[in-house]
Amino acid sequence: MENLKGIVVVVGNYGSGKTEVSINLAVNRKRAGIDVRIADLDLVNPYFRTREARKPLAELGIEVVVPAEKYLKADLPILSPVVAGLIRRPSQLTLIDAGGNDVGATVLAALGDSLRKKSVHMLQVVNPYRPFTETFEGCLKMRDEIEKTSKMTINGIIGNANMIDETAIEDIYNGYDFVKALSGESRLPLKFITAPATLLAEIDTGRFSCPVLPIERQLVPPWIKAAGLKK
Amino acid sequence: MGKILMKGNEAIGEAAIRAGCLNYFAYPITPQSEVAEYLSRRMPEVGGVFLQGESEVAVGYMLFGAAGCGARVLTTSSSPGISLMSEAISYISSAELPVVFVNIVRGGPGLGGILPSQADYFQATKGGGHGDYRLLVLAPSGVQEAVDMVMMAFPLAEKYRNPVMILGDGLIGQMMEPVEFSDHLKSEPSNKDDWATNGMDTRNRKERNLVKSLFLDAELLEEHNLVLKAKYDRMKQEEVRYEPYNLETDYRALVVSYGTMSRVCKTAIDNMKAEGIEVAMIRPQTLFPFPIDPIRAAAAKDGCQAAISIELSMGQMVEDVERSVQGKCPVHWHGKAGGEIPTPEEVVDVIKSLIK
Repeated sequence: MENLKGIVVVVGNYGSGKTEVSINLAVNRKRAGIDVRIADLDLVNPYFRTREARKPLAELGIEVVVPAEKYLKADLPILSPVVAGLIRRPSQLTLIDAGGNDVGATVLAALGDSLRKKSVHMLQVVNPYRPFTETFEGCLKMRDEIEKTSKMTINGIIGNANMIDETAIEDIYNGYDFVKALSGESRLPLKFITAPATLLAEIDTGRFSCPVLPIERQLVPPWIKAAGLKK
Repeated sequence: MGKILMKGNEAIGEAAIRAGCLNYFAYPITPQSEVAEYLSRRMPEVGGVFLQGESEVAVGYMLFGAAGCGARVLTTSSSPGISLMSEAISYISSAELPVVFVNIVRGGPGLGGILPSQADYFQATKGGGHGDYRLLVLAPSGVQEAVDMVMMAFPLAEKYRNPVMILGDGLIGQMMEPVEFSDHLKSEPSNKDDWATNGMDTRNRKERNLVKSLFLDAELLEEHNLVLKAKYDRMKQEEVRYEPYNLETDYRALVVSYGTMSRVCKTAIDNMKAEGIEVAMIRPQTLFPFPIDPIRAAAAKDGCQAAISIELSMGQMVEDVERSVQGKCPVHWHGKAGGEIPTPEEVVDVIKSLIK
């Protein structure tokens, strides 16, 4: 994760965990002393978006770019003009959290002109416990569809194997094996995997050839408390 | 197949396929659209049909027609869409056809908003369409339960030859939880010869089936309504489902809550237990038939100072809670209808303000 600088675009299928990963990556890099900004480009999903976590992120000094306040709860495809500026003058790390599937990635094509002039990491989040990405074939199909609509190239994988609250250590190990093999199959580097911060102490990270991003869950239903984010 | 992580809307779609439903007609609307998206991809894989109607009015009559032919059939929508289908729901109920409706409720009235709500309680349990009809209404509080209820809804609809409605809310549709699916059901209603206009060849009877809701003769219409009433009475006898929570304690208050809101109430009850205050909950899993007797019995227990209906509406289910409690203790309501869900802390404060 140390080498993730400049613009990082996070894509993947619906519910692969793009937003939770983006938020936690932003927090992780900010804690490492890097200047981070994050843009919520999810124009297709009405619930559980980066905008829900803008308060705790702001408290850590991470700027969240979202549509104007009055449109925050709308299911309208609003692209804040601030995003183009964010791309033109990126911070040390600028995270762009796109929407799900090829549909959600369509917005990237609209930003294509500004994005093409920059060096961009476009990373595909994969959770093999989600429908349609439980096989290599499914993941590669998703990659093709996203690349076609976004007119951009995916150049890395993020392994995000989880069952939310019910994630077991075995799920992390099996999920790692899956994305590691997918990385071989697709010739895309495995940038990092994730694991719930609460399980980290019990996980043998020596098994992994890539870094592990701890997830402190922020997108929660109203009966569960989001993890408190320390500076 | 083990557990898989699914959004409520996706899981509802997959469950319909597992329940042997190969006919799905719908029109997209937030926060339900992922069901249509999921099934537009999955139905062709299993040899089924997804047809997007030109409106929910049209969808209503596609359901009527397909059910009349003996097909197992589903639609999903959200509040304004269900309003548009209400005429067909009344006709389908009168024609005694099994159809499964899923309403992923959003804020209302009118176009309202896209956030979670339970404000379609009256519409689902008391009508919406015209005439003396009832829907059997199931209310899931999580993704797995939504799956189980979809699997259960088709056999129930066929048992009663009556529409079944699954009343979720935006959060049930949008949240993700690990789920598993049981084995496939057969893809044909076993009793379809009782109603389907599927030709005379397969039947052992002489008369044709007729799908209709018009009875101009007063005596015949009276008789028809009595047949329907007998069905609804049988549902009240046989189909009441609810989950008791903390009911075995010496509780000081009884909460009645369902769906997403009941999850918040559970956290609130757990938090109060940690403080030494016992509160019980009855979570209706069927909204019609309503768990009248269990609520009355729970409210009548010594030491229960209040019954509180906590719902994402301006006070709809509370009328059924009052009807159930029958004065055994004071009945209160707490709720919100804008889309924001009360927090566990807010629920704790409300309960504490009502008990000594």
